[in-house]
Amino acid sequence: MTIRTMLLGTAGAAFALALAAPAAQAATICFAFQDLETEFWVAGHQAITETLTEAGHTVIERNAQEDANRQLEQVRDCIAQGVDGIILIPQDGESATTIVAEAQDNDVPIAVFNRPPSDLSRGIVVVADNEEIARQAVEFVAAEALEQIPDRPIQSLILVGNLGDPNAVGRRDGFYAALEPHGDRFATPIEVATQWDAATALANLEAAVTANPQIDLIFTSSDFLFPTIRSVLEPRGMWVPRGEDGHILMAGLDGDATACQLIKDGYVDATGVQDLYFEAESAMNAILAAIEAGETQPNEVIEDPGFALTSENIGEREMDMWGCVLLAEGFLER
Amino acid sequence: MTATTEAQAGTGLLRPQTGRIRRAAARVLLSDHFVLWLSLGYFLVLLPFLPTLGTPANLANLLSNAWPLLVVALGQTFVMTAGGIDLSQGAVIGLTSTVAAALIATAAPPEVLGRAPIWGTLIAEEGGIFAGQVWVGILAMLAVGALVGLVNGTLVALLRMPPFMVTLVAMMTVSAFAIWLTQSENIRNLPEGYVQLGKGQIVSVYFGPQDRPEIPRRELHAVIGQAALIAVALTLALHWLLERTAFGRQVVAVGANRRAAEIAGVPVRRVIVLVFVLSALCATVGAILYSARLEAGRPTLGEGTFLLDVIGATVIGGTSLFGGKGKILWTVWGVLFFVLLSNTLNMMNLSAFHIDMVKGAVILAAALLDVARNRLARSTG
Repeated sequence: MTIRTMLLGTAGAAFALALAAPAAQAATICFAFQDLETEFWVAGHQAITETLTEAGHTVIERNAQEDANRQLEQVRDCIAQGVDGIILIPQDGESATTIVAEAQDNDVPIAVFNRPPSDLSRGIVVVADNEEIARQAVEFVAAEALEQIPDRPIQSLILVGNLGDPNAVGRRDGFYAALEPHGDRFATPIEVATQWDAATALANLEAAVTANPQIDLIFTSSDFLFPTIRSVLEPRGMWVPRGEDGHILMAGLDGDATACQLIKDGYVDATGVQDLYFEAESAMNAILAAIEAGETQPNEVIEDPGFALTSENIGEREMDMWGCVLLAEGFLER
Repeated sequence: MTATTEAQAGTGLLRPQTGRIRRAAARVLLSDHFVLWLSLGYFLVLLPFLPTLGTPANLANLLSNAWPLLVVALGQTFVMTAGGIDLSQGAVIGLTSTVAAALIATAAPPEVLGRAPIWGTLIAEEGGIFAGQVWVGILAMLAVGALVGLVNGTLVALLRMPPFMVTLVAMMTVSAFAIWLTQSENIRNLPEGYVQLGKGQIVSVYFGPQDRPEIPRRELHAVIGQAALIAVALTLALHWLLERTAFGRQVVAVGANRRAAEIAGVPVRRVIVLVFVLSALCATVGAILYSARLEAGRPTLGEGTFLLDVIGATVIGGTSLFGGKGKILWTVWGVLFFVLLSNTLNMMNLSAFHIDMVKGAVILAAALLDVARNRLARSTG
């Protein structure tokens, strides 16, 4: 049973009971997250807090508002409060390493959700195979581009995340891995720094598109930037759906509701999907199991293989993507 | 007639009592230790509701969070006492922590830092050009910090530009420069000697039974660490500087009335430049403590609501936003109160948004209290 089923409203209570079953006692879990800026983090936060609470556990929430130092202090406060375990969404890989060490040195089990520490050897780390997921998504649009543009080098553009975050590094690597086999068919990609910040992305993308009006393919390292891309392309007449002249092939990564809607509308061609519910469930189960077993320094890497949802396979795999599940529930109309 | 006389007699009896209460209230309000009493009162009131508040683990935590903030707030105290404000302290923290890390890191991943402009010159795969040399890194940090303070102070003193505007611009440019240096990447692999400056423990205590073969790390509470020693030493030195030297009196005089200080022969320009340099140097020491405990140089360190904490703690302590009034001891109590406030708000499980709203309200209350104390001081002569 998964969290997905619970959020779909079909078996919420059963899942909560199932999750509670392995733990003999209710635990106090500190959930320290860096912020809730994107749909992915909002949905992950909701899945974790609601499921733990409904299973009878106490959740202490700490929002660091993108401040690594504040997050360290908040985790220390949690440890002083005597929590049984910690689930962490860190600001970046470097601070995650420090915070995991802090928790383990104080004999508190800790699980890192989705954004892995630079050092994967300590803590429970639940992470998507970002490179592979990005490669799959970009391979789809690259193949389309090769078919549509046979007579000139194809100009691609990548919106790069904060490279202090290993997820961003993996996604960029996946992008290049997908283009590499095609050699000179692709011109040197344009890299646009975003630092995972919509305002930074907007400013840098404006500049890049102004300097290079001929762009054939765009890959954004996170789906949350699609509205930003739209706001840059639309006034220039470059926001065109599939099948019409001037359509820019577009791929992203995360699998959020906006991306699902845009694939359906034809503006986006593919997105790499992280299985949010699998990741949330894995983090919770692993931390609760460690608490139950009295393990204070559990170390484990749980990998989410993910997949690419494309304009071709959306018919079959739509409901495997968390964003499409949320979309079906009316998430974007709320 | 009788009733009126009795009422008058009663009022007459009440007057001396009211006067005594007023004088007692004035003594408390004008006391150097007012915020300390406030903190103790706040602590004792909340203790029954938040029993974790008084645990050794939490008290050790409170102290650990206070040291770096105190170090930065000490510099802000000097600038505010001289009638200015330094908004660039956070940016100085980001820049200096990045510079030190770039110079002394013992390794650097090319996939993360390979695109940074400093790659291949200051830092490469095998580390910074002074890899492992902690003191070189610290001296470089202090030099960079002092340079930023010198520019700020010179612009304020010589061109008579408003400190708010000068340091706001410095905040933007210095911060952007730090981010550009590493393309917003953090630099890890700091030498152990550097990390110990923020995390090293000298005296720890344990309150459990003595027959246990091994004490769990969680039950060992750091009382004195290297960060504490640095912060206390700096506090004592700056207390002496502000309270016991001619320079300290000049800082107060400039803040109270710049024109009068000039007429009295105070080297106003030099004093202003020096307080900004001092402020930047304090921010740099704060950068050492923050980056050491996070084990990374971070160009974004000191961003966000950090300045709210620094200015809030300084003002709550009693240092006047209008200049001419400030004491190091006040800032110590202000930081203590501010850290206690953050800690208790966390324990109440309030959201981050509520915590910042409460902090903002407390700073406003402190500013209002500052106005009230000034009036009271004038009325009591």
